[in-house]
Amino acid sequence: MKKAIDFIKPAVILLLVAAVVALVLGLVDMMTRDRIADIAEQTKTNAMKAVLDAESYEQIDLGAEAPADIDEAYAAEGGGWVVQVTETGSQGAITMMVGVDADLACTGISVTTSSETAGLGAIASQASAAGDAFRGQFVGQSGTVAVTKDGGQINALTGATITSRAISTGVTSALALCETLG
Amino acid sequence: MNAKKQLTEGLITNNPVLVQQIGLCATMAISTTLFNGIGMGLSVLIILTCCNVVVSAIRKIIPGQVRLAIFVVVIAGFVTIVDLLLQAFIPALSSALGVFIPLIVVNCIIIGRAEAFSSKEGVFLSFRDGVFQGLGYTCVLVLMCLVRELLGSGTIGGGILNGATSFFTLDGTGAGIRIIPEGFGAGALVLPFGGFLTLGCLMAVMQYALRKSNEKKARKEKEVKE
Repeated sequence: MKKAIDFIKPAVILLLVAAVVALVLGLVDMMTRDRIADIAEQTKTNAMKAVLDAESYEQIDLGAEAPADIDEAYAAEGGGWVVQVTETGSQGAITMMVGVDADLACTGISVTTSSETAGLGAIASQASAAGDAFRGQFVGQSGTVAVTKDGGQINALTGATITSRAISTGVTSALALCETLG
Repeated sequence: MNAKKQLTEGLITNNPVLVQQIGLCATMAISTTLFNGIGMGLSVLIILTCCNVVVSAIRKIIPGQVRLAIFVVVIAGFVTIVDLLLQAFIPALSSALGVFIPLIVVNCIIIGRAEAFSSKEGVFLSFRDGVFQGLGYTCVLVLMCLVRELLGSGTIGGGILNGATSFFTLDGTGAGIRIIPEGFGAGALVLPFGGFLTLGCLMAVMQYALRKSNEKKARKEKEVKE
């Protein structure tokens, strides 16, 4: 018969290893947490400034009534709104910032996180000429925004109709939300 | 076991990707720009080396029954550390590699080397094994990135070269040096199946070269005998 120690020893060693790893992780987290939060905040502010430039933004309490795809909405100082929307793209969620001016026209969009296919849907979030051209199409749009294939005004990215549709849907719901706000 | 033999093993004769054929998932998914390739390769190199050293250092006290659980805890620890550091200091790389950094936890290269090598050998040998196997992985990744990026997107050095503010950049704005005009690349190569094609060709070239060199060696030995 095996002795009790034969069962306990592996468990204790595993526990010790896990405890040391947890301790080290805690230390690393302490060192990096503030920096990571700063970077996230900075990225967000940059994205908001890119779609609608303003001195400051004030978050709007949307309550429980808000549509499911709207994450957050901010009222920009000097009129207009910035809305953060998440839509389902072809490879996963696409989160974008949509700027809307006081006349309910889109002032610009910026894709903050997405995992679309490199070379196709990923162009929508890239800082390239093709990406700028695609996102530029949304500027000045109002009401319902859709890709040309669905009878709308937006030329979809080649090979990335699903991505383009998701972004159009996002802009449409941001515009619709601002209409209720304004 | 000498350093030279370990180096040849890591880079060529026992290369993790081309010969052992492990860790392919991330290889297919991220080898689309040089930035990703170097970043992923170096992350794996660092994690592999650290895990090898730790596993080797505690190999005498690891009970056989729970060794895999302990390997996974150690690996997950180092992966999380690297993930947090990347998020804090190279956020562009962190967002480009996305989920594939946390997924290094289940990358067979690391648990494979722990099981096959560092749980049996000394600390220094394991350290060297980690560096050389990691280098082998990085080299293959960089090669695949160069091929796929050049033929697929038409650029070289995407992500790290030709940035918005400086030529060499880590902020993710690098557009790369354009070789093929925009729109003329074979975009399919950037997709996962292009990764399989590229990897298949690389493996074929590798096998051809290995066989040639073996034949040459055999012929030489024969001549010496005669």
